[in-house]
Amino acid sequence: MVENRSQRHKQDAVDRNRQSKRTVFRRSLALMLICGVGFFIPLLARLWDIAIVHHDEYQQQATQQQLMDVTVPAHRGNILDCNGQVMAMSATVYNLILAPKDLVASVSEKKFTDDDGNLDEAAYQAEIQRKRDEVVDGLCAIVPDLDREKLASRMERVNSQYEVLMTQIEEEDAQEIREFIQEHKTSYYLYLTPSTKRYYPFSSLASQVLGFVNDEGGVYGLEAAYEELLKGLPGRVVTGKTAQNIEMYNSYSNYIDAINGYNITLTLDSTIQSYAEQILEKGIKDYDVLEGGFCVVMDPNTGAILAMASSPEFDPNNYSAVVDSILQGEIESDTSTYYEQLKAQNAQASAEDKQTDGELMEQAKALATSAARETQWSIRAIREPYEPGSTFKGIVLAAALEEGVVTESDTFDCPGYTSLGGWIIRCSNRSGHGHQTLAEAVQNSCNPAFIEIGQRLGLEKFQEYFKAFGMTEATGIDLPGEESGLNWGSDMGIVDLAVASFGQRFTVTPLQMITAFSSVINGGNLYQPYVVQSVSDSNGTVIQSSEPTLVRQVVSQETSRRARTILESVVTEGGGINAYQAGYRIGGKTGSSEVGLEDDHTLVSFMGFAPADDPKVIVLLAYDRPKANAPHSNYCTTGVYIGGGSMAAPKAGELIAQILDYMGVEKQYDESESAAVDVTTPSVTGMTVADAEKRLKNQNLTYRTVGEGETVTSQVPSAWAAVPSGSTVVLYLGDAQPEATGTVPNVVGMSYESAKNALERAGFFMRASGTNTYYTNASKAQSQSIAAGETADIGTVINVQFVTTVEEGSADIEWIN
Amino acid sequence: MARKPKRDLTVEEQLARGPLDLPFTMLVLMLLGIGLIMMFSASYASAYYENGDPMVYIKRQAILGALGVAAMYVVSKINYQTFRWMAMPALVGSVILLLLVFTPLGVSHNGARRWLRVGVEFQPSELAKIAVILFFAARLCKRDTEKRKRYTNRTLTGRTLNRLEYIGFLELVPYAAILGVIGILMLKQPHMSGTILVMAGGAAVLFAAGIHLGWFIGGGLFAGLGLWIIIASTDYMTARINLWLDPWADAQGSGYQTIQSLLAMGSGGLLGRGLGNSMQKLLYIPEPENDFVFPIVVEELGFVGGAVVLILFALLILRGYWLALHARDKFGALTIVGIITLLATQVFLNIGVVTNLIPNTGISLPFFSYGGTALMIQLAEMGMVLSISRQIPAPRNE
Repeated sequence: MVENRSQRHKQDAVDRNRQSKRTVFRRSLALMLICGVGFFIPLLARLWDIAIVHHDEYQQQATQQQLMDVTVPAHRGNILDCNGQVMAMSATVYNLILAPKDLVASVSEKKFTDDDGNLDEAAYQAEIQRKRDEVVDGLCAIVPDLDREKLASRMERVNSQYEVLMTQIEEEDAQEIREFIQEHKTSYYLYLTPSTKRYYPFSSLASQVLGFVNDEGGVYGLEAAYEELLKGLPGRVVTGKTAQNIEMYNSYSNYIDAINGYNITLTLDSTIQSYAEQILEKGIKDYDVLEGGFCVVMDPNTGAILAMASSPEFDPNNYSAVVDSILQGEIESDTSTYYEQLKAQNAQASAEDKQTDGELMEQAKALATSAARETQWSIRAIREPYEPGSTFKGIVLAAALEEGVVTESDTFDCPGYTSLGGWIIRCSNRSGHGHQTLAEAVQNSCNPAFIEIGQRLGLEKFQEYFKAFGMTEATGIDLPGEESGLNWGSDMGIVDLAVASFGQRFTVTPLQMITAFSSVINGGNLYQPYVVQSVSDSNGTVIQSSEPTLVRQVVSQETSRRARTILESVVTEGGGINAYQAGYRIGGKTGSSEVGLEDDHTLVSFMGFAPADDPKVIVLLAYDRPKANAPHSNYCTTGVYIGGGSMAAPKAGELIAQILDYMGVEKQYDESESAAVDVTTPSVTGMTVADAEKRLKNQNLTYRTVGEGETVTSQVPSAWAAVPSGSTVVLYLGDAQPEATGTVPNVVGMSYESAKNALERAGFFMRASGTNTYYTNASKAQSQSIAAGETADIGTVINVQFVTTVEEGSADIEWIN
Repeated sequence: MARKPKRDLTVEEQLARGPLDLPFTMLVLMLLGIGLIMMFSASYASAYYENGDPMVYIKRQAILGALGVAAMYVVSKINYQTFRWMAMPALVGSVILLLLVFTPLGVSHNGARRWLRVGVEFQPSELAKIAVILFFAARLCKRDTEKRKRYTNRTLTGRTLNRLEYIGFLELVPYAAILGVIGILMLKQPHMSGTILVMAGGAAVLFAAGIHLGWFIGGGLFAGLGLWIIIASTDYMTARINLWLDPWADAQGSGYQTIQSLLAMGSGGLLGRGLGNSMQKLLYIPEPENDFVFPIVVEELGFVGGAVVLILFALLILRGYWLALHARDKFGALTIVGIITLLATQVFLNIGVVTNLIPNTGISLPFFSYGGTALMIQLAEMGMVLSISRQIPAPRNE
């Protein structure tokens, strides 16, 4: 029984053991299935869903955050003059960017947290402040004129990721800043981005034509007109980056090179442009000109613009600054005008809209300044139509010659006025020019004669030619903002015709005028003017080149030749005499026109070309409003007669001579001119007076003797000196010796002969210039190279500038009915 | 000590000299190798940008990995029967170490006091996990021989105790007490993920030992209800759940890590960007060397690479349970079940978190995540499994 029980017990235990083992086995198997299979099914499904199903979506998001897409700015093309001189160029500059938010983030809170998770706030803030001060101190050390406080305040904009601290940093400073960034490891929140800056090496030269560039690109002038070609195509650098914006150059990097802008070569010649601007400046000073002027120089045979100057000018390197002193004065006077206006408006405004006087003043100043800026940025030659005045007579002349309504043998009688349809139209010469040939009528710029010529042409023909010469439409020059003048359109009446015949009561742009005049003198061809010679890529390959564009032939070769001859005589014998330059055959026509209805607002101009037999250059020079010395006075404050012949012609002549010299056109003297050319004095010391006389005569020199004797002991000037031919050499005989120095007499205001005599009596020589050799009593010395009262070596050649006052004026038109 | 000839050995000693389980060993070594390579790749950028030395993590991990392999071998040589008596001291030692964490010997990182510094830094919780498993296995394997306790039916207490004994409640009390003490100690650190793992390991041994399923169902329901109440009542947990449901709601803030992980795996595609070519490791994923190695694996090696790693883990786990099923005794079987379930739970929770299958718990991936001492202990545990595998009798050729 006992045995049995123990047997059963044993059996029981074995059963329980087996039972328990089976349980462990079954339970383990269940866990095996749950953990070894069950766990992995959802994990694999999830993995499939993420990596395969949503692959594109996630990859796109990942790429977006991982890639840094940096634009590489394209190099803006250069603008070159016709000789390849750089007039506008771009250089890389930098902007300095700060991310105040990242600066704060760069200080790890963890570092200032103790083991229990408490942040040491004071130490944490101190570290941030230290980093800020480090940047401020570093930058101020590199660029001393930074505004420290402003910089510090921008540091504290902790929510900002993008604060532009500095712009247009030049390479030198940029290098120092780069070193600073590297040294202090601040690249996480302080970095440089490249940008470009436009430089104009000649500063204000041709400023209006070049225009300028602001942040958006070219906004004025050629910079705007050729924006698409100049700007190029920016490139991209796509690189991987870390979450802290550190670039990673790896296999995901992609580079697209920037395509640099095209270079533009102009027809402008910087030398001629600078001559033109200097002559403008000089005239403005000499004649006290109030509203600037313009000057266009063109190749009449192609329409290529060689220079286009406007005054007032500006410096495109700093385009918003108003530097012209006259404009500055204008801003001041305009400001007070605007201020009064604003004040009147403000008085009517309701109480809450009322502004303080200070605010009004600021507004007035802003208005005046922006008006002044518009003025200085404008290319006057294409933007500001004017009444061409008498210069237009050259065009009427050509039309009349072409139509055969006048010939050189025709004569005209000028009583000083013409009455027409109830109007009295006066000639500039109130007493009349009397009987005159066609050439004399042009020389005298005689209004009644031209009214008659106009009437011979008739309304229809006149309008036909007016149109044919391109006066009714813009020239199509490759500059932005070209205007066209105003005229009567189809309602032209007989009085309109009369005044139009001498260039009044309609407007054209200076460019229209010079283009038309070119066709008169170049053989009759009207060309489309242009300033861009060629466009080339950065390797110098020309991709586009301008050829002269013939618009139409307006008059015949023969007509053109005849007109040239008559226009040349205007300079040699007529109203353009002050443009005369010895050695150069210059033709041209003067002009004076009233501007608007203002009193004493005259625009004086001269259209000149040279050489007259084969024109290579044509110049239109104008000054706007020389200041009259008294109301209704014919003289300006500097004492010069207000008119194209007295003001514009001499300056234009000087300019043409400079240009021809520069172009290498040889001087050709006629007989009377060569008389005035310098000769070399022979050595006659030691000779007898008779021998000396012979040798001096060979050189076209006269002499006078001082002292007693047979032999020349000394001479003034000494041998091999250059003096104008016809000068009187002083021979000293016997014991007589020349003085070493003498006092220069005053010759200003004297006629040619008396000035020459006065100087020679004092032991000096005179070289006359500024007008031709037909010195009449109207020619007066205007200035002398060594001022009166100064001491100079005996024998010194003194340059004396002569000017011939040419009286002219615009026609008065009176209604007498 | 001279090696004893075979004839002098006891049967047990002879068995302990049996061969290592080759498939299990190879799977461990393969996962360790892949894990080291991928941890190196994942940590390269953060090590470089944060420490200036791209090798800083891999150096330590490789050294401790090598020590771990040595430890695995040494442990596998130990006759696992000795673990039976070592279980009790190990458990007591673990509790003491867990208490020591709250003395000045303890070290905090990121606001959690989980480490002890005694020469090296390590987490006592790692020891507690294995101690719990060993202790539970050692005790539960004798379950079938234990007599049911009888109390007098004359008193109410006696009757109640008899009743409780009958439904198997009393049997559970010591286990519950141990898990409770260790759980409370670890939650104080706080160490939520460690607590989960200790519970998982303990529960697995209890389950395999044949504790009535009703207790697990009841316990599961109780834990689920408690969790639900906690989630519903605390803002922190609610936010965490919402974050899990829609990480994009706060893409730059709390959802950042999850999103970066998804982007990494998503941009891997089928075959990945290629080894070493991860972009997301460039400081996008915070601390990719720790819990987020796996996303880098998928980004660089694609779905295929990720799946291979998962399958290797699955094979290791299956082989582990296979060893448990064939173990010589119940103690061996229960020990392996505990260790392998612990491993499987860790893998599941880690990959589940990085794929946003489950809310973030902060559990590292065995053999992959950086953490030298944890890796060593992990390998030592594998050594225990191998030690048990040595005593599996060779199949008789009949």
